[in-house]
Amino acid sequence: MASASQLASSLSPSASPQLAKRAELSAIDASTKLPALFFFGSAVLWLIVGTLFALIASFKMHTPTFLGDYEWLTFGRVRTAHLNAVIYGWSVNASFGVAFWLMARLSRAELRHSGMLLIASAFWNVGVTLGIYGILTGDSTSIEWLEFPSYATPLLFFAYALVGAWTVITFRFGRSKHIYVSQWYILAALFWFPWLYSVAQIMLIFSPARGTVQSLVNWWFAHNVLGLWFTPIGLGAVYYFLPKVLGKPIHSYYLSVLGFWSLAIFYNWAGVHHLIGGPVPIWVQTAGITASFMMVIPVIVTAINHHLTMIGNFSKLKYSPTLRFIVFGAVAYTFTSLQGSSMSIRSWSEVTHFTQYTIGHSHAGMYAFFSMVMFGSIYYILPRILLKEWPSAKLISLHFWSTALGVIFMVLALSIAGVKQGIDLNTLPVGADGHTGSPVPFLEIVKNTIPWLKLRSYAGILMTIGHVAFAINFVWMLLKARPAGVTAPTLFRDVPELEVSR
Amino acid sequence: MSTSNDNSPSDKKGHIEHAGATDESIQRVHAILLREQDEPKEGFTPMPLFLLGFISAMIFLGSVYFVQNRGDFDPLVYDTRYDAEAAKAAASAPKALTPEQIIAKGKVLYNTCASCHTPSGMGVPGAFPPLAGSEWVNGSEEVLVRILLHGLAGPVTVKGSIYNGNMPAFGPGGGYSWNDEKISQVLSYVRQEWGNTGTAITAERVAEIRKLEASRSKPWSEAELLPLEKR
Repeated sequence: MASASQLASSLSPSASPQLAKRAELSAIDASTKLPALFFFGSAVLWLIVGTLFALIASFKMHTPTFLGDYEWLTFGRVRTAHLNAVIYGWSVNASFGVAFWLMARLSRAELRHSGMLLIASAFWNVGVTLGIYGILTGDSTSIEWLEFPSYATPLLFFAYALVGAWTVITFRFGRSKHIYVSQWYILAALFWFPWLYSVAQIMLIFSPARGTVQSLVNWWFAHNVLGLWFTPIGLGAVYYFLPKVLGKPIHSYYLSVLGFWSLAIFYNWAGVHHLIGGPVPIWVQTAGITASFMMVIPVIVTAINHHLTMIGNFSKLKYSPTLRFIVFGAVAYTFTSLQGSSMSIRSWSEVTHFTQYTIGHSHAGMYAFFSMVMFGSIYYILPRILLKEWPSAKLISLHFWSTALGVIFMVLALSIAGVKQGIDLNTLPVGADGHTGSPVPFLEIVKNTIPWLKLRSYAGILMTIGHVAFAINFVWMLLKARPAGVTAPTLFRDVPELEVSR
Repeated sequence: MSTSNDNSPSDKKGHIEHAGATDESIQRVHAILLREQDEPKEGFTPMPLFLLGFISAMIFLGSVYFVQNRGDFDPLVYDTRYDAEAAKAAASAPKALTPEQIIAKGKVLYNTCASCHTPSGMGVPGAFPPLAGSEWVNGSEEVLVRILLHGLAGPVTVKGSIYNGNMPAFGPGGGYSWNDEKISQVLSYVRQEWGNTGTAITAERVAEIRKLEASRSKPWSEAELLPLEKR
């Protein structure tokens, strides 16, 4: 490392501090190259696999006979396979890659013994493959978000321990004196996830708790994976790429601190709002609802911080793929979180919970926010570790528009279907408990959702097109030769004032 | 240029110092890095004041909501409509029995009466009057309650036959000393069994009559009761 910066400064003494910094970054990027590629490659593969499962499950919702004769592809299995493939396959693989790449850069430390991360990646992906296979053959544990059979989970835990340890070591040996906000989020997430995962595994599968405690642990885990793993990784990425692409500092350190700590304090409580009306002591439910509402604080604070950083630069969305995906994700984060808080209100939860509305909400969170941020991050990271440009701006554009429109249509369709479904399900006969409506027969309620579920399938096809475009671009980039001359970034359109000429 | 320069600088230690590393090749390797912006920094703009107000308001409202819906921190309370005062009152109040439960309890108590009046309520001709179809049983509760409280002595006409015996007192002073609930239950039973058409008698009604006749210590006679029957 030292040699690279020394060389850079000796070559051009006038530009030495700047060049030295860049040389250091170059060395750090290079040290992350193989594991990051392995994680991102697996992520893209799982994204495609998970999307196919999603399409099958979605079609079965309105055309139950579709692939109805295959035991492995019954709805209960294929829907579960979809969830686990996109969560543990796509999202976690992508977040691992982004997390240690960001950590290495921000800590100013090269990854040591990056071979260990390759081993971790191998273990993780073998674990996920085994788990998906187990689900398809009927070995699912039937516990939401933890469906992987117990012969797959130890592999995941081992892989996780390696990634977590390596990222923390990278942080520990970093040269950076300052700890940037993205690092807080990533470090915290690295500690929170093993806590969640091990407690949930022990209390639900290896030595199950009794009675309603199980449902409490289950929702505590399932909701916190979103809030204490995916959210911090996603926000960490936004906090890095937003100022990075814009070339201006994050608006306020104080808002970053407030946003981080209020998330850390409140999120952990919020999962219980899935059990509103259930056989859980009312004070626990109330604590969950209150915490869900207090989550408005970190969300608003973070949104203000991001918006005031972004303000005045919206025209750059025309050019930068990374910025466009990241900003879409950040806006979706604000929307989804506020929607989530509102869904914890008792009277609104009675309508929306157990309907398609909840499915729409989870896609807004995991896709419109998290996945879009990961797409943006990968668009930024890959050219730096491969030292090549993305082959096709058109494919990136196709990827953005089909996934952005796809997820918007999907969330809208499911939300409308869900609200109607919930209101109809809650309509009691005349006179019962003071109600005046006339109840809709259950089968009618189911039939009413069909047009919306079809719209969801079409939105899914649109997103699949985007994913395929992304995968083609990814593989094409891996295979294409490194060009001889200086290259320009792959942007949606040419920028005249770009620092590097063509 | 040598192929080793196609790798990034840190791949092999020292390879950059290779003589083949020209200005141009270094720049090419760093091209993507050179054009990127500096590593992100944080600005230190102070927090806007309205945000402080907003956060304080959220914390205040959250606390109020939590306190109002805490359900007394009782692990057995599952519903926001829970009211601690009402729950306590309901727990201490005697449980109201359903008409079916009253009849069932009365039936058990009737085992005592059945030794004379017989389980079928037909009585023993010449000795003990019947309860089934009896005008006394189906008649005024004023009379019936009084008979049970203090007993009945001397001749009495039931369904056209005269019986001359002694009905023991089940109220104060008698050997049984049944409370208002027991008396009301057994009377409700006999008034609705065997095709009888009388109404149920409440424990409150028994208590009232017991209070009215608190000074009485001897059994009733038919002559004393007949005026009450007409009332």
